[in-house]
Amino acid sequence: MSTPVGRGTAESWRALRTPMLVTGLIVLAAIGILIATSARTSGPFSPDSTASDGARALATLLKNHNVSVHSTETLDDAQQPGDGKTLLIGPGGSLERADWQQIANAGWSHLVLVRPGSQALSVLAPGVQATGGVLAERSRDAGCDLPAAVKAGTVTVSGATYSAPENAIACYGDGINSTVIRLDLGGRIVDVVGTPTTFTNGELAKDGNAALALNLLGTHGDLTWYLPQLESTSSGPADKDAPPLIPPDVRYIAWALAFAVLVVAIWRGRRLGPVVAERLPVIVHASETTEGRARLYRRSQARDRAAAALRESALGQLHKAHGIPRRSDPTAVVATVAARTGRNPAMLYELLYGLPPQSDAALMSLSQQLDVLTQEVRHP
Amino acid sequence: MVLTGRAALLAAAGVVFVALAMPSWAGVGLVVAVVLLVCVVDMLLAGSPRRLQFSRDGDNAVRLGEQAVVQLLVTNPGRRVRGLLRDAWPPSAGVLDPPHKLDLPSGERRRLVTHLVPTRRGDRQAVRVTVRSIGPLGFAGRQGSHEVPWTVRALPPFNSRKHLPSRLARLRELDGRTALLVRGQGTEFDSLRDYVPGDDVRSIDWRATARRGNVVLRTWRPERDRQVAIVIDSGRLSAGRVGDAPRLDHAMDAALLLAALATRAGDRVSLLACDSAVRADVRRPAPEDVLPSFVNALANVEAELVQTDFRIVVSQVLERLGQRSLVVLLTGLDPAAIEESLLPVIGPLLRRHVVLLASVADPHLAELEATRTDLLEVYSAASAARTRLDRDRLTATLTRAGVTVIDEPPTQIAPALADTYLSLKKAGRL
Repeated sequence: MSTPVGRGTAESWRALRTPMLVTGLIVLAAIGILIATSARTSGPFSPDSTASDGARALATLLKNHNVSVHSTETLDDAQQPGDGKTLLIGPGGSLERADWQQIANAGWSHLVLVRPGSQALSVLAPGVQATGGVLAERSRDAGCDLPAAVKAGTVTVSGATYSAPENAIACYGDGINSTVIRLDLGGRIVDVVGTPTTFTNGELAKDGNAALALNLLGTHGDLTWYLPQLESTSSGPADKDAPPLIPPDVRYIAWALAFAVLVVAIWRGRRLGPVVAERLPVIVHASETTEGRARLYRRSQARDRAAAALRESALGQLHKAHGIPRRSDPTAVVATVAARTGRNPAMLYELLYGLPPQSDAALMSLSQQLDVLTQEVRHP
Repeated sequence: MVLTGRAALLAAAGVVFVALAMPSWAGVGLVVAVVLLVCVVDMLLAGSPRRLQFSRDGDNAVRLGEQAVVQLLVTNPGRRVRGLLRDAWPPSAGVLDPPHKLDLPSGERRRLVTHLVPTRRGDRQAVRVTVRSIGPLGFAGRQGSHEVPWTVRALPPFNSRKHLPSRLARLRELDGRTALLVRGQGTEFDSLRDYVPGDDVRSIDWRATARRGNVVLRTWRPERDRQVAIVIDSGRLSAGRVGDAPRLDHAMDAALLLAALATRAGDRVSLLACDSAVRADVRRPAPEDVLPSFVNALANVEAELVQTDFRIVVSQVLERLGQRSLVVLLTGLDPAAIEESLLPVIGPLLRRHVVLLASVADPHLAELEATRTDLLEVYSAASAARTRLDRDRLTATLTRAGVTVIDEPPTQIAPALADTYLSLKKAGRL
């Protein structure tokens, strides 16, 4: 009689509901965690990062001095109206000129550009030029009359240097180029800072670093800490009018095609019952060991052993064929065989009882001579 | 859930529909909904494969190389089931039929036939019967499996039975049952007959001669009702493949020929297959039962990769044999294994019984030894020569110990064993 195997529909549901519930919970938890952590920024010079190149310490100090720090990675936050507020633009990112222009138009009262690129400089800090030079790290005096720098005293400085226009205050430099530059653009103050490492967790405690940072950033009670990302929202005006490279219909056809492929996969993929496995016996060739030993002989060039085996085998056949007693001594054997075959006894002795061959060629010829000798015995 | 090519076609038509008529999310959604709806409805309308009932009938055993027929009776108590049915067996069961087409209306019953040609000895068990039931629209269906147990035993082929008639003829000759009335040289008294010049004078029964007045001769016939114990080594020595089958299979063939012959000669045969444990054990079956029981017992014996424990062999044989008997050991002539494990324990066996050791020689070794055209072949020839010399030495050792050794290639081993048995019988050594 027969027994159904596998699960019915109700059984499948009962068996699957717990795993499905668990999977659902895990997915929900993962989504929740992603949402909870997505607001936070990370990476170098991030106000949330506690790594030595992060700036969590500075952000905390600012909060302790009643400056509200709003960290962001989105461009829109940097482009919102910023009257009476400070915007800190971190290093990195790749924004288009139009994006910088938008930031400039937002009307921030105080802009702090940390190691800005040339494009940002030309839009936000006209007149300041990146020199491409790098200042070696060491403690320096301000060397200028910027109040924030004067209050801070010596500061550990390293990083990119900039050349300042006439009307700017340039600090912490080598006399020609500087790493901290303040521009007063009439209603907007722009600070260019070429030394981000000075404000990171690792360096903040040195010299007057913390004081300089607080004095620079703490001018307004509201600080937006913007870390530019690699993406850009604006595309060139030419792109918007050009016809799209892919017609929008193709997208729907592709989805319909994907569904059709899925149906075909299910149609072809379902087997008519499981694959049947079978335990098979081990197959070993009976001559395996003999062949293995032959390879071993060859690898170790065991000509002496090979020759001994061939000679012994040939002698066995000669004994049998000529009726020589088993225990006869070599000279008697050679004499009998020589008498029967008419060969030279000395050469026969050398062939049957000689020294082992010294080369592969000698082994070959020995084997052939023994073969000829035994062939004669078999077919006289 | 099972989909068919028709469902795939419908989905493909959906692509065309989206492309030409509705290139929008609504179009894609419509196509997906239509395909899913059709498939789900069709699946729900398909007959349930789980409710089918099965039973089996047919052959239980088949000689290896021949065809077995197993029938499957399908009863459908539910809705009409149309689709495919696969009767799954292991690969070596050699199922010939492709999956069966099934069209079973409600309440009916069908007989499906599966043909098997097993490719390997041993029990082959049916795995499961899988039914794919396609709905009335032909778009989708359901699939379910049933376990319908059945076992087909593939028996050893007994190819050497072709040698049996000639050996039986020689046996009759030995027995004196041929028309020539040639009496054998056995040791059992058979009858008295008149002396014919040329008879052996040592056979004259003087007492009967005195009674009858003319010279009367005793005649002898070979012994009957002797015991023959066939021991098949199923250990690692038998796993080696000679020609296209392991030594074990050649040994089984030889054992079956010997068993058939010895049964006809009136001897009692028993069988033991053993490595580190006893794998098959048949003790003195009734004469007409010998071959079937042997074949059955040997069907599932496979060579194990372990060293045979000859202590078990010896104690088992000693335990079951009372009188002086013939013990036939079918094993391999491997110097290390035989010298280390058989020779130390064979003493008690040799004291009480006649021991015959039969081994399947590998003709490939002779080929290796004969061909010497390049260097590797010379080394192979040397290695083969060494193997043969070792075997010869082992044969000599065994012969000195009192064991009769047969070392023949696979095609010769069965007739050689039968011949040796006949000559032992003729010589009255049993």
